[in-house]
Amino acid sequence: MQDMTSPIARTTPQRRERIGYQLIFASVLLLVAAVLVSLSFGATGITLGALGRVLHAYVYGATDSAGVTEQLVLLGIRLPRTILGAFVGAALAVSGAMMQGLFRNPLADPGIIGVSSGATLAAVITIAFGKTFAAPWMAAFGVYALPFAAFLGGFLTTTLLVLIAGRRGQLMVGTLLLAGIAIGAMAGALTGLIAYASDDRELRDLTLWSLGSLSGASWPKVIAILPFVAVIAIMLPRVVRALNGFLLGEAEAFHLGIDVERMKWLIVVVTAACVGAAVAVAGLVGFVGIVVPHFIRLIAGPDHRIVLPCSALLGGALLLFADVIARLAVKPAELPLGIVMAAIGAPVFLHLVLRRGVGGLE
Amino acid sequence: MLEARELVLERRGRRLLDGIDLAAPGGRVTAIIGPNGAGKSMLLKVLAGELAPTAGSVRLDGQEMSTISAAALARRRAMVPQSTNLSFPFTVVEVVRLGASVPGFDGIKTRAHEHADQALETVGLGGFAARLYNELSGGEKQRVHIARALCQLDAAHRMDSETAVLMLDEPTSSLDLAHQVRVLDEARRQAGIGRAVLVVIHDLNLAAAWADDIVLLSAGRIHARGKPAEIFDNEILSEAYGCAIEVNRTPPAGVPYMLPHLLAAAQRNGEAS
Amino acid sequence: MGNVVISHEGPCPPHCVRQIPDPATPIDRRRGARELKIEIGSKERVLFKHRPIATLCVAGMLALVSSATVALAQAPVEASRIISIGGDITEILYAIGADKRIVAIDTTSQFPPGALKEKKSVGYMRALSTEGVLSINADLIIASDRAGPPEVVNALKSTSVRYIEIADDFSASSIAGKTRQIAQAVGLDAAGNSLAARIERDFDKLAELRKQIKKPMRVLFVLSTANGRVTVGGSQSSADAILKLAGAENAAAAVSGYKPISDEALVEIKPDAVVTMQRTASGSHAADQLASMRGLSASPAVLLKRIIEMDGLYLIGFGPRAPAAALDLMRWLYPDLPITRTGLHQ
Repeated sequence: MQDMTSPIARTTPQRRERIGYQLIFASVLLLVAAVLVSLSFGATGITLGALGRVLHAYVYGATDSAGVTEQLVLLGIRLPRTILGAFVGAALAVSGAMMQGLFRNPLADPGIIGVSSGATLAAVITIAFGKTFAAPWMAAFGVYALPFAAFLGGFLTTTLLVLIAGRRGQLMVGTLLLAGIAIGAMAGALTGLIAYASDDRELRDLTLWSLGSLSGASWPKVIAILPFVAVIAIMLPRVVRALNGFLLGEAEAFHLGIDVERMKWLIVVVTAACVGAAVAVAGLVGFVGIVVPHFIRLIAGPDHRIVLPCSALLGGALLLFADVIARLAVKPAELPLGIVMAAIGAPVFLHLVLRRGVGGLE
Repeated sequence: MLEARELVLERRGRRLLDGIDLAAPGGRVTAIIGPNGAGKSMLLKVLAGELAPTAGSVRLDGQEMSTISAAALARRRAMVPQSTNLSFPFTVVEVVRLGASVPGFDGIKTRAHEHADQALETVGLGGFAARLYNELSGGEKQRVHIARALCQLDAAHRMDSETAVLMLDEPTSSLDLAHQVRVLDEARRQAGIGRAVLVVIHDLNLAAAWADDIVLLSAGRIHARGKPAEIFDNEILSEAYGCAIEVNRTPPAGVPYMLPHLLAAAQRNGEAS
Repeated sequence: MGNVVISHEGPCPPHCVRQIPDPATPIDRRRGARELKIEIGSKERVLFKHRPIATLCVAGMLALVSSATVALAQAPVEASRIISIGGDITEILYAIGADKRIVAIDTTSQFPPGALKEKKSVGYMRALSTEGVLSINADLIIASDRAGPPEVVNALKSTSVRYIEIADDFSASSIAGKTRQIAQAVGLDAAGNSLAARIERDFDKLAELRKQIKKPMRVLFVLSTANGRVTVGGSQSSADAILKLAGAENAAAAVSGYKPISDEALVEIKPDAVVTMQRTASGSHAADQLASMRGLSASPAVLLKRIIEMDGLYLIGFGPRAPAAALDLMRWLYPDLPITRTGLHQ
């Protein structure tokens, strides 16, 4: 139990609702700022000021080599990278929020309950065996092979978890977390086995990949994740009310008219799509899924009508800012994104928890 | 009208409910009583559509329960469970408003807010709207859920032919005397505006005083069914509960009441002397 | 110059052979005399000497070639800002005298030792950043075919900057081949040819020497002994390749790549000799540590005190120094072979 003077206890319902809308507005501004910063900064020192010239060159053809470089950096490198960064951040934060809502546990996270490990395993199999037994898969899906494999890995892991922890219509949180840890460990062991069989170069690649990076961002990747963005964008509004209902409990959600089983599956599929696409594009980036939704709940309460859109916006903004630091810190080389994310995010989060309490959690 | 016919519920080879026939018409308060483990809460869950019966049927206004979608059902049936804990810091009014979030309701937010505020007043939680649910006492939480159910029935659109059903699972178990009276008066008021009210209740005296019909369950079967005056009988109760119960009646209206602990105390005193 | 012997911290253990690092600075090395010394117990021997005369000839030819290049009107503009991605590539560029034109290198470019200090770093070769590499404003990128990630390499190839990919494998022939390729790319064909020819001669000489080996030694290459776990170089590793060049048999050929193996497997292997990586940090010697390992204690290598420490990049970097490294190893393994004091160059 928390003391009665917590900030949320003092807010009136009207004020809390207003804070929710203000937070959405602020998140939009922050994301726009993050996009501009992400487009403006990089190792080359080309800024957004070159955009006018670049667009002119794009329409009328580039005139000099400097113009070609500017066009390449802004439109060929930073723009796809920014789009992917915003998407990955949004997907990770939203999947975290959904997992926490579904399992009624603020610590649930695709990373903690093993969903990311499953997606990673599938992606690693695709990387390591892409030229051997996974070749037909690669041939069948082309640029979509890796995101789709990661998606399938995430989906299978999530399904397995729901089957194990969701017997007799009730999702058991304790079972879920333990099963998640076990499945995560199994997927991790298989990933390790593949790593063991890999040569030094692949091994180093796997390590780097597990630290996360957006450096491989390209337009084909943007196109590859578009179907996932579409699925998530269409599904998200449909799960908002269900997630609010789930917070009361599954039986209560049913009494409130929510088709519980269908919604659980929908949430699982959307989460797997989010995690799979994010892992496929950027490798493993932790932290976003727990911190962003928790931050929003601290400020505006647990209503998913606020939590989900704000998670998407703030998650994208956070990842973009972290990526800018990753690009600039040791330029012309680059830091892994996961390291930057943990380094800037963890202290902020700790400060928040210490100052504002855990927000009515028990 | 909510009806159950030949209801059987089995779980892991154990028969929890057996041959239940029951009717809860609009305008009446039906109390389900019985000893621990008689299957009262299970029966309520089957009647609410939450559990599918192994055999037999549940019908709402003649329509088979399993064919009604969750959303359509929510417009016509509100349920108050025994107790819930929330993992996230919802305020009281946010929980109550969830009652008005069922699809098919009119989307007018101010109306939903009015319903929520009114429901909170009804259960005596007028000033509690902005409080965090998790910081309330057990009795207050129980009343928040009652308010949420009332809000759900008030906000929903129904045709005249459709019966609204309010189901309460031991709504008075953590309430003080004043709030017991308040909540059961509200249950009566709900019946008064034509809704069918089903209450699972342990306190026989409350059941005797507020219910129109009594269903006495014992070991998954209906032991007795009828008006309070018929059910509250020394022999029927003593047999169902397996202990000596003596029913008295208050003089003017003849409302039955029973004080088995006084009986036990009297026996002890008798042995002592 | 270049004859100064830099002693290591502490005395060299009697059973240990240690290569003495080349003290010459990278730039001076090209023109000055160079020799490779090793320490065996307390004695010290010179393995080979780089003759200044030969270098002078190379420099003369170099001058001729460069003037010829200037004379040719259609010749491509010579790259003046080079990014070198790959340790062997950087080493070759330094060896043929293109080091002044290098502006950035990757973190695998550990030789010459000062390279990473004087040049910008674009990070690890498998984790490049498109914009980071472009920000160098280079006019030539010479990169190993192992460079990555693939998206970045593809993006870099699509720019106007010349991108030359160098195939990377551990065969003797590939070193001379990539030397010529790299030299051609930077317009130093003559220097490249002479270096490549020297490398080829050295490998031929090695092949000749190998024929004289009657009974090949079974040698174990130990990459690390971290946490008491021995990681060895199995088949298809660069260590396997250098062992073969030195006329030895890889005792750990049963495993593939660099793999940790158990104490029991070590007992089974019973190597005649052990080659291990030199420790850069001061402290206990890897050789001492290995000698005390349970799995090796009964092996001929420990009993006969045949454990050698060698510099990692020198031994398995497969740059232009590869033949010298193989020769060092061969000489140590087979002291009876008629290898002249001055090494391969006479």
